[in-house]
Amino acid sequence: MKTSKWIWFVWLLVVLCYVVPYGFLSDLQTWYGSFLFWSLIGVLIIGANIFMTKNFEEH
Amino acid sequence: MSESLIWWSVGVYVLVALTIAVLSRQGKAGSMSSYFLGDRQMNGFVSALSYSATTYSAFMMVGLAGLTYKGGVGALGFEIIYFAGVSLVAIFGPKFWAVGKTFGFVTPSEMLGHRYKSKPVAATVSIASCLFLIPYAAVQLSGVGYLMQGMTGGTIPFTTGLMVATVLAILFSYVAGIRSVMWTDSLQAILMIVVSTLVALLAISKLGGFSGLFHILETEHPQSLSVPGSGLFSFVTFLGLTIPWFFFALTNPQVSQRLFTPSSLKAMRQMLIGFLVFGFVYTLVSILWGFTALAAFPDLSNADMATPTLLASNLIPPGLGVLVMIGIMAAAVSTIDSIMLTLASMLSRDVYANVKPGTSEKRQLTVGKIVLPIIAILACGFAQLELNLIAVLSVAASSGLAVMVPAIIGAFYWRRGTAPGVLVSVIGAGLFVVYAYINGGKVLGIPAGIWGVPLSTLLFFGVSLLTKAPTAVADEFLKAANNPRKTAQPAISDNPAVKSA
Repeated sequence: MKTSKWIWFVWLLVVLCYVVPYGFLSDLQTWYGSFLFWSLIGVLIIGANIFMTKNFEEH
Repeated sequence: MSESLIWWSVGVYVLVALTIAVLSRQGKAGSMSSYFLGDRQMNGFVSALSYSATTYSAFMMVGLAGLTYKGGVGALGFEIIYFAGVSLVAIFGPKFWAVGKTFGFVTPSEMLGHRYKSKPVAATVSIASCLFLIPYAAVQLSGVGYLMQGMTGGTIPFTTGLMVATVLAILFSYVAGIRSVMWTDSLQAILMIVVSTLVALLAISKLGGFSGLFHILETEHPQSLSVPGSGLFSFVTFLGLTIPWFFFALTNPQVSQRLFTPSSLKAMRQMLIGFLVFGFVYTLVSILWGFTALAAFPDLSNADMATPTLLASNLIPPGLGVLVMIGIMAAAVSTIDSIMLTLASMLSRDVYANVKPGTSEKRQLTVGKIVLPIIAILACGFAQLELNLIAVLSVAASSGLAVMVPAIIGAFYWRRGTAPGVLVSVIGAGLFVVYAYINGGKVLGIPAGIWGVPLSTLLFFGVSLLTKAPTAVADEFLKAANNPRKTAQPAISDNPAVKSA
């Protein structure tokens, strides 16, 4: 069973979870700063997992 | 909120949950895989709800809200990185499932023992899991204690809350093993997500809606909306918290054992996606609770009281508050009973049965049922210590379990891994993490959570390269792991006669 390439997308998101809020958003003290960023990452993680497990259905 | 209203509500909850537990019984669960894995026939929907309730519990609603109250939005980042780590299920889930079915594994430690051809590996991983998970279970019990004490203004003392949760956890796991645990979990998960979301929306609307809440935060607590913010979430601390939690889905046996239970890969997919959707909503709700408490009650001395204070306040109608309290208690209980059940299966199968070779399935099951309440009482004792910030304590458990990461990943991706490599990495790095926590949680200024994984990886690779690998077993194992679709035959342990032959 091949590991989906989507997992690399997930690893990229994980790296961004550290880099963006600490590197670029630390002065943005509003709802559309780190709060919105991490929330969007959460949605993207769900999407990536849906694609990653698509071939589970063929079992 | 009156004491009698709380006790009546607890009574109704216990009655409904026990009825569900009894209804979940299917015949006589006479084998280990029947009692602890539901005969590997659990459907995706129940698995998703149960996985959610087992993972998320008092920690989220009490601990994470408390962490948000104290440290701000960094708590969301911490939880989202854990959330991303659950994607590991998409990679490792089918592998666990396939080898579980092929070789009849009941516990993750049994799987490692087989893969590295070593009974001491199975026993060591089991005992290490107990050492770290009993404090983790204690954290959940503390959550119930804080909650009941906070919401009744101390009328129901901390200790009474602990006792109630402990007795319920024992009851729910005794009725039908994993089946009663998973079905009661499902009820609790639904109750929790619906009511807690309602509470968040109600409380926020009283503060003037989302814009009102964030306006208060932006003007009065601006640091709560960025990292490092007030300083709690410095980058190094954030790394120390998130690294162990990222691997939670693999290293915590009460959830990794669930990778053996789905009836099919399709059911596993439903479990994973269902969990992620649930978890995302639940995470946001918990964070918003913390923010709401910060906006409304900025002067609490103990951050863990943020949720109880919010629920007992006039922002929430009393009837709804008590429902959420029951829901949080139920979710804590559902985590504890899953941990107890998993640890009991590990101790009976991987410690007792290895010390006494030839132990029958029936005997293993009896031993498991004897160990269950002992684990509960130990956790209850630990909770009595009333340690301060329960979220941080909980992470200590994850740091300890994270030392198993190289052994688990190596089992599936490195055929050169050896039993001495596993033993040295788990024991060596495990002791190092414990030492670090005893000495304030840091070594050379770096948190224990950062040390654990690289140190155990180094030890695992180094010692494995110096010792002889069980390559024949490894090849057989990897072949099964990499071909989950060919795993159609019934599991070996599902037929005790075959196992003992």
